[in-house]
Amino acid sequence: MTQRAKVDVVVVGSGAAGSVYAAVLAEAGKSVLVLEKGADRKLSDLYSSQIWARRLKSAAPHVVEEGKDSIWYNFNAGHGYGGAAMHHYGVWPRYHPEDMLEQTRYGKGLDWPFDYEQLRPWYDQVQEDVGMSGDADKEIWRPPGAPYPLPPLPVFEHGRILARGFAALDLRTSPVPMAILSREYKGRPACIYDSWCDAGCPTGALANPLVEYLPRAVQAGAVMQPHSYVTRVLTDRAGKQATGVEYYDNDGVRHEQAADAVVVAAFTVENCRILLNSATGVHSDGLGNSSGTLGHYLMSHPAVSVFGLFKEETHCYYGVTGGQLFSQDGFEKDKSKDIFGSRQWEIGLGTKPNDLLGVAMSRADLFGNDLHEFVRHGVRHFGAMVGVCECLPHAANRIELADGKDRFGMPLARVNFNLDDYARNLWQQTADLGVQIFQAAGATEAWHSPPGGQHIMGGTIMGADRTASVTNEYAQLHDVPNVIIGGPSVFPTSSSVNSTFTAHAVALRSARHIAEHWGGLVG
Amino acid sequence: MPLTRRNFVKQSGLALSVTVAGKTLCLTPRQAYAQGVAFTNLSQVEVDTLEAICERLLPGAREEGVAQFVDKQLALDPNDSLLFLKCFNVEPPYLAFYRSALAEIVRLSEATYSRAVADLDEASATRLIESLRDGTTEDWNGPPPPLVYHALRNDAVDVVYGTMEGFADLGIPFLAHIEPPAVT
Repeated sequence: MTQRAKVDVVVVGSGAAGSVYAAVLAEAGKSVLVLEKGADRKLSDLYSSQIWARRLKSAAPHVVEEGKDSIWYNFNAGHGYGGAAMHHYGVWPRYHPEDMLEQTRYGKGLDWPFDYEQLRPWYDQVQEDVGMSGDADKEIWRPPGAPYPLPPLPVFEHGRILARGFAALDLRTSPVPMAILSREYKGRPACIYDSWCDAGCPTGALANPLVEYLPRAVQAGAVMQPHSYVTRVLTDRAGKQATGVEYYDNDGVRHEQAADAVVVAAFTVENCRILLNSATGVHSDGLGNSSGTLGHYLMSHPAVSVFGLFKEETHCYYGVTGGQLFSQDGFEKDKSKDIFGSRQWEIGLGTKPNDLLGVAMSRADLFGNDLHEFVRHGVRHFGAMVGVCECLPHAANRIELADGKDRFGMPLARVNFNLDDYARNLWQQTADLGVQIFQAAGATEAWHSPPGGQHIMGGTIMGADRTASVTNEYAQLHDVPNVIIGGPSVFPTSSSVNSTFTAHAVALRSARHIAEHWGGLVG
Repeated sequence: MPLTRRNFVKQSGLALSVTVAGKTLCLTPRQAYAQGVAFTNLSQVEVDTLEAICERLLPGAREEGVAQFVDKQLALDPNDSLLFLKCFNVEPPYLAFYRSALAEIVRLSEATYSRAVADLDEASATRLIESLRDGTTEDWNGPPPPLVYHALRNDAVDVVYGTMEGFADLGIPFLAHIEPPAVT
C-alpha cells in the first residue's frame, strides 16, 4: 500500500461531471487529482468504426441486473478518459420547469431542491463554454434561456423525409439542440456530418470532455491519472469528514490518496457502489446513507427506436448520430389516467450498417440471404428516429451491493429495476405513434424496436429533506459534506430529456459553490 | 484516400497481429482465414461450429474471418474488447460465453439432427437457428439462446459489413475521420 501526497480535491471519474468539477476547482487554485478507472485516451484514438467504438463502453466490473427491465448498463456507461460522454450523441435539451417540481405540480415523483430558474444560468454558461448549435426560436418547447451561440446543424434528406410524417400529423419539429459545432468555435472545427458521433468525435466538433473541461482542468494544473480504480471513500474516525479515497492500480496495488474534498463522479451505478462500499462503523449502511435512500430512486428512460424503409434514398449514413430534427410535442406529462410522463423525439438518426443501432439490427429476426437483401436495400432507403420517455422515480428501483466481487475484492453492483405501468403505457403509446409518423411520411414499411434503456439516473438524489435524500442542493452528502457527487445520479426526476447537458449544468453550479465556500467545506 | 489493399489492411479496424513462421504480420480476419492462421483461444470444434453457424447467419462470414476475429478478441481485457457481445450485460470473461454457447449448439445439432452443424442441410440449419432466435431450444444449458443468436449474428455482420471493405461492397461511403491503426 502506498500513500500519496495530499491534494485539495480528488475527483473520481473523468466524464461529463468529473471534468467540470476538475476544471472549476483547478481554476479556483485547488490542487486537483482526477482518478479514472479506465485508460488514457486522446482524440486521435477515436477511430471511425462502430466496431472500434465498443472500446469506449464499459464491460467490467460486471453489473448484476435483476427486475423486469434493463438499464442497458454497458450501452450507457463509459470507460476511460471522458467516460460515457465520449460516446454520447451531443443531444442537449434542457429540463423543463415542471420536471423539477413534479411532486408539487402533479402529486407524483419528487421535487428538486431548486427550480429551473436557479439552474438556468448554468445551462447558459455551459452552452457558451462548449459551443451549442440550435435555434431557440424554432425550438418552441424550450424553457427560457440564452440563445444558442451557434446556428443549427443542417438538415439532410433523412430529416426532410421524416419531417413529412410529423407535418402530416400536425406535429411540430425543430432543429436539435446539439453540443456539436455548426461553425468553428474557440479553435475547434465545425462538424463534417459523417455520423461517427458514437465512435467518439476526434475532430473536437462534438463537446466531449476531451475538448473543453478536461483541457481546462489540466491547463489549470489538475493531474489526470488513468487505470486508478477507486473502491472506497475514506473518512475520519468520527465519520464527519472524508479524508481521501482508496484505489487500486492496474497491477492490483492498493493506494490511499488523501484529499480535503472528494468528488465522486463515476456515473450512476459506480457512484452508488463506491458509497455503499465505503461503509464504516459510523456509516454502517454506506457513506451518506443516513436517510436509507442511497442507491434508491434509480431511473432510466424507456426508449423506442422507430424504423422504416422509403422509396427514395435517405442517405441515413450522413448527418450526426443523434438526429437531424427534434420534437417535444407530447411533452405534457398528465396524458391520461393510465399514462404519465413526458416524451421527446430525436429524428433522422445517423445510421451505419452494423452495431446495436445499425440497419442490420433493426430487423434482428432476419438471417441468411434475407439479411443480406435487407441490409443492401436498407443502407440506402432506411429511416430511424427514437422516442424517449420519462420514468418516475420509485424507491424500490435500486442499486445494491451483490454477493459477487470484482478482481480487487470489491462487491459488484446489483440493480433491481422495474418500469411502472405509467411508463410502460407511455412507451407503447410512443411506439404506436412513431410507426404512424413513419407511415404518414410515406414509409413502405414501418416498425419499432423493443424497449431500450437510455441514460441512467438517480441513486444519490438531491433533496432539501436530509431524511429523504442523499445530497443537498449542491450535491454534497448530507452526512459528510466534503464528499460531492457528480453526474445524473443526483437527479431526483428523469424528465425525458437526455441527461448530459443537465449533468454539466448541475455540476457547474455545485462546483462554483464549492469553490466559493471552500473554507466552510474543509473547516 | 483511395481504398487500396494496403490501406484497407490498415483501415479495416479489424487488423490482427499474428505470428506466422516467426514473423509478426498485420492481417485482416479475412487474410488470417485465407492463410490458415492458428487459433489461440477457440478449439477446432468451436471454430468449425462458429464458422458454420455464422455462415448460415450471414453467408460470407466464414471467408471474412469471423472465427479469426472472435478468437483474437477473446484474448483481450473485456473493457478493450470489440465484440458485439460487449453491448449486452454479459459477465466476462467472454470466452466462457462462447465456449458454453458453442458447446450447446454442437449438442443441440447432434441431438436433433444427428450431425455436426457444418454438415446440416439448409432446412435443418434454418430450424436450428430459428430455435435459437425464438428461444425454443430444448434441454439448453448455455447462455440464453436469443442472446447467443444476436451475438453470433452480429459477429457475422461486423466482419461482412462493418469494415471499410464492407461499406464499399454496399456501395456507401465510409467517411472515416481517422484511420484505424495498423497493428504491429
